[in-house]
Amino acid sequence: MSINRDHEPEYASLDSPCVADTNVYGNPIDLIASSTVEVGTSMYINADPSVGETPNRNKQHGFHFTADNCIGCHACEAACSEKNDLPPHLSFRSVGYVEGGSYPDLKRMNISMACNHCDDPVCLKGCPTNAYTKHAEYGAVLQDPETCFGCGYCTWVCPYNAPQLDPLEGHVQKCNMCVDRLEVGLKPACVSACVGNALDFGVIESIPENRHQAKTSIPGFPDPEISKPNIRFQQSSENPKEFKRTDSEHIKYRQSEQSDVYEPVVDLKSSEEKHWNLGKLSSRENPLVIFTLVTQAVIGAFVIAFFGGLSGMENMGMIASSAVASPILLLLAALQAFVLVLSTLHLGKPLRFYRGFNNLRYSPLSREALAVSIFFGFLPVLAVLHAMQFGFLNILEAGAIQANFLPWASDSMLKLSATVLISLAVLIGLLGLYYMHMIYRIKARPFWDHWQVLSSFFGTMFSLGAVLLGLLVLPLIWFSSVSLTSLIVELLPFVAIGLAIEALGHFFHARDLKEGGKEGAASLMLLQTQFGKTYVLRNGVILLSLLAALLILMFSQQLFNTSGLLYAFAGGLAMACLFSSIVSRALFYVLVIPTTMPGAFFWKNKGFEEHARETGLAKMPQVGVVELSH
Amino acid sequence: MLFGRKKRNPIKIADKKVVDWKYTTCGYCSTGCSLDIGLNEEGRPVATRGTADAKVNRGKLCVKGIFEHELFDSAGRGAEPLSRLAADEEFQAVSWDAAMDSMAAKIQGIQNEYGRDSFAVVSTGQIMTEEFYTLGKLTRGLIGTNNYDGNTTLCMASAVSGYKRSFGSDGPPGCYDDFEHTECLLAFGSNLPEQHPIIFWRLKEALEKRKFPVIVVDPRVTMFAQFADIHLPVTPGTDLVLLNSLAHVILDEGLDDRAYIQTHTNGYEKFAELVGKYDPLTASKICGIDAEMIRKVARIFAKAGAAMSIWTMGINQSTHGSDGVVAINNLSLITGNIGKRGGTSLSITGQCNAMGTREWSSCSGLPGYRQLENPEHRREIGKYWGVDEDFFPKQRGMTMTDIFPAIEAGEVKGLWLVATNPMTSMPDSARIRKCLEKLDFLVVQDAYRDVETNQYAHMYLPAALWAEKEGCFTNTERRVNLVRKVCEPHLNSKPDHWIFSNLAKRFEHSKRMKFPETTAEIFDEMRELSVGTMVDISGLSHDLLEQEKGIQWPCSASQVIKAAETEDRYLDRIGSSRLYTNGQFQYADGRAKLHALPFVDNNEVPCEEFPFWLNSGRVVEHFHTRTKTGKIGNMNKYSPTPYMEVNPEAAQEQGIKQSDYVRLVSRRGDAVVMAQLTHRVAKNALFIPFHFHDCVNRLTLGLLDPYSRQPAYKQNSVRIETIDQKLAAKINLEMRDY
Repeated sequence: MSINRDHEPEYASLDSPCVADTNVYGNPIDLIASSTVEVGTSMYINADPSVGETPNRNKQHGFHFTADNCIGCHACEAACSEKNDLPPHLSFRSVGYVEGGSYPDLKRMNISMACNHCDDPVCLKGCPTNAYTKHAEYGAVLQDPETCFGCGYCTWVCPYNAPQLDPLEGHVQKCNMCVDRLEVGLKPACVSACVGNALDFGVIESIPENRHQAKTSIPGFPDPEISKPNIRFQQSSENPKEFKRTDSEHIKYRQSEQSDVYEPVVDLKSSEEKHWNLGKLSSRENPLVIFTLVTQAVIGAFVIAFFGGLSGMENMGMIASSAVASPILLLLAALQAFVLVLSTLHLGKPLRFYRGFNNLRYSPLSREALAVSIFFGFLPVLAVLHAMQFGFLNILEAGAIQANFLPWASDSMLKLSATVLISLAVLIGLLGLYYMHMIYRIKARPFWDHWQVLSSFFGTMFSLGAVLLGLLVLPLIWFSSVSLTSLIVELLPFVAIGLAIEALGHFFHARDLKEGGKEGAASLMLLQTQFGKTYVLRNGVILLSLLAALLILMFSQQLFNTSGLLYAFAGGLAMACLFSSIVSRALFYVLVIPTTMPGAFFWKNKGFEEHARETGLAKMPQVGVVELSH
Repeated sequence: MLFGRKKRNPIKIADKKVVDWKYTTCGYCSTGCSLDIGLNEEGRPVATRGTADAKVNRGKLCVKGIFEHELFDSAGRGAEPLSRLAADEEFQAVSWDAAMDSMAAKIQGIQNEYGRDSFAVVSTGQIMTEEFYTLGKLTRGLIGTNNYDGNTTLCMASAVSGYKRSFGSDGPPGCYDDFEHTECLLAFGSNLPEQHPIIFWRLKEALEKRKFPVIVVDPRVTMFAQFADIHLPVTPGTDLVLLNSLAHVILDEGLDDRAYIQTHTNGYEKFAELVGKYDPLTASKICGIDAEMIRKVARIFAKAGAAMSIWTMGINQSTHGSDGVVAINNLSLITGNIGKRGGTSLSITGQCNAMGTREWSSCSGLPGYRQLENPEHRREIGKYWGVDEDFFPKQRGMTMTDIFPAIEAGEVKGLWLVATNPMTSMPDSARIRKCLEKLDFLVVQDAYRDVETNQYAHMYLPAALWAEKEGCFTNTERRVNLVRKVCEPHLNSKPDHWIFSNLAKRFEHSKRMKFPETTAEIFDEMRELSVGTMVDISGLSHDLLEQEKGIQWPCSASQVIKAAETEDRYLDRIGSSRLYTNGQFQYADGRAKLHALPFVDNNEVPCEEFPFWLNSGRVVEHFHTRTKTGKIGNMNKYSPTPYMEVNPEAAQEQGIKQSDYVRLVSRRGDAVVMAQLTHRVAKNALFIPFHFHDCVNRLTLGLLDPYSRQPAYKQNSVRIETIDQKLAAKINLEMRDY
């Protein structure tokens, strides 16, 4: 389809000059030097080999938004959706607003936002499938839905709501800068459609005619340091000290006392009353709750049993070098396989799961996926090795395989390889957990961007790992020489350590969130109000469990005599651990408030989307809200 | 690439595979934007773009226009004519012939039993001018009822009435180009950015080149009010007081154009005497704008070399809407700001062809701004149509807003609604429902079968949509634009003019009349009839209109011929940007009239029981009763469900939180809406978009303007009650279920 036509109005033609060598972030505006392509390379848009003749084609381009002028008329959003043939529930560009002042001195500031084709594209770096490319042509950050497997991670890291996860199609799409229009010398569709003369486009740092500012931020816009976005603003009319959001997010923006920058602060919106809201703990991310907890428990159980065994722990040694070792490894493998499948099904396109390792260079998600997969791969191998060495329950005798199939393999060889493999598995398992935590260290998600994620993941590894191990050994105890009582006593310290680390993490997390203000403080406020009662219970359970674990350890000698009581305590403790872990992890996902663009009253308002799904409005396609998958 | 995959898939960008672009004109509001509809290989409309060299929109479109191609396949379209004996029975599909036969028989049956005027026709501002003309010919020439009106009574009647009272005729004197020349813009009750985004853009473009003061009078802090240099948050329903006071200051300080008043107006003495009573201090106590501000605004307006006023429903939809229009015209007249570049009094019209119905439908008279009251006009049209001149009534009959009470009183027994939806659009829905229930015979002719009024219809006629046929629209600045046919009508729906012509054949007398097949032929009739009238379109043709992207009337044949002979690029010169450039008005003596307009406060003002002002208006993503826009997800999603704007302080006092549902109660009924807390509205005021079915008009009173019979939608009082949130959500969902 030809885009060019006769009599194209002047406002649509792209002819901005390049006015500087570097942008405000100090990066070169010319992109050729830092790229591997040559000047005049075709972009092969829809397989078209032609090359655009646009001047400054290899310069970083960006949007210029005159916030003073935006009337919130939706023409930009509509032109974009019309051009890109988008269904109502998606939009590459959205207009939200903030409001300040009081009648009649009201100021509503509309903000039209799409992809900012950042200097530091966090989407590209986060994407495990490598679906993103930053091009030397216009500096466009383009995403390929055919590569994407729909994990939605880019939607977590992007502060501007640019990537759009389509729950119906199961993949992400986003603004393509209208590179097809740029190639024929036209501004993007949204810019050409703007009715308020607010939106413009050109080489970054060039200021459009009749405008005089090129600011990097306006109230409501996330900290540009997160990704160094290529958008500049003019906003010269007087502002109120405080801007409120109309959407359901508990955030407003206040002018900081030191500068004229507006910072997000907590907006209470509802009462400070404490609620349970247990039903709201369940979310779209439930599979991730299970995946992270189980993976951490499996790695924990493995580390405790086998590394413990190697390092001379009595009961662990008995388990690790007995006929129950192999079945335990197989059970761990089965459990890990189950949650890997679960997390794969969480993807929009599960069959593309293998693409998860495509971006080891940048993506913590790729690295985690690889590490956990390798760890998982070690488990069956180790199960075979242990079956050879120690037999398999009473089904297979130690040495039987060796004698029949591998007469050349000596016992010491087997032992050495097991030791090496266990050490490697422990290492890669711990590395997996580290990268699992790195997935959540997202600047645009202050609630997550804290070392508490690490403490929580490792805490769970110890506490749930010990619980899992105990549960696995329980039915097999008849096959080993381990006594249940001594097993409990040996596992208890791990539970206690795990709980202590977890508790410590929660304490410092809450303190730092409160001090840090912004979206993190808002998440904390929600935790303490909307989930206030659940929060108190969760904290109580962790503290009581820790106390109980310590008490049992202290009085274990006395309890030995009444093993029934010990088992009851241990069982109760295991349940408490499981409860607090699940609640904590569910809260972890539902409470996060992203640093992102303000929405409108209906559109891009999470509160309305939830309401529409609850009441059935979402069943009408024209409402623009679709059911979430999973 | 800087970084990312080395071996990547080719870049894919949506390609709608348009093979042909067809020129047409937008069918929503009166701005009159030209657009191209893209057709794919199968001939289906798949894309829309603003026509690059369009005179009005210069390539731009608003959100509604951008998705206009999606209308053709939208949900709820009618497929076959439907008929039933009573509204509580199921509809049966019938053939067009059977439908037309039965409709004509029913009309004649009712008229035989209860008299000619017992069957009423209410049309619209949505169909083509040629269709209006044909409907007029059918109604005035064959059916012969005098109860014939358009839904323009709900939106533009006050402007029409005001223009007639001031200038002796309807017809907006200015144009969009006036923004390029004016030195002061005064806007009353007009929210351009939301209601007419492309006209706002034209203003914005003018302001980019040259700064001039923009003054907005509106009780609500609209986007326009926010961008204005001066915003006057006037007390609802008191704009006439403000206008009289502005005139007071202008006369008092000698800022008026005395020569213009003396040469071109009548009625100065009485006018001066009346405004003399509205000194700024007295006025400020009523209209809520302080005296100093009134003086300041009057001075800015009067001292500007050229000053223009625009207005929309904030003026028209009130009990003194016509007076408000006249008062705006008074201001323009006393400062000599009529018919000059940048000096005008421009009504920003509502529907795409509200002007077309005013000019040619014969609703309020006879075609081409002719009047029933004028025997010469009756004779002329009777002769041209082949109708006995005595068959025409000698005076205009009832307006739409009087037809419904006449149903109530049993005077009107049958009603034909053409592309209008009074169940949602008229004030006091409960009363309208009762009227519709009472009818012996209701015909609903609409492109959408699910139009709410169809609930009470005995017969439903599926009409073709806007660009499924060809014809003209006239826009706010008198520009006649061409709508080209883009695709065939949906299933068995038919163009409205086809329906009119075919119904006409069922009337005995039609044999002596002509009902041409094509709209181009109908246009020829109108051209002939327009010669020598104010609305001269004799120089126009469908092809010329497409070539020129619209031409402003008057445009006589001789003007076009002369232009063709003298100029190379002649066509930019034809048509008329402005009316009354020579100071000659349509009153017999050629003078405009200044009116003395005393203010009578008959508004339903808030009281203890109903403490809030209720205001209603439009949002950009919807049009009228959402029959069209409610179907298109990419627009509807911006406001899928009704809401009210309420001041946060008032909300707090009432215990209402953001996004809570509330129940509003007025003396007429109740409505459930979602609360949006915003300082856009005053503490004692609420605003609700009027588009939603079973919503704001369940509450409105709609007192009528004595001249225009237009309802006062914007000045009613209500109270807020809390409601069980789950029940409210259920009610709300049911009301959205079309």
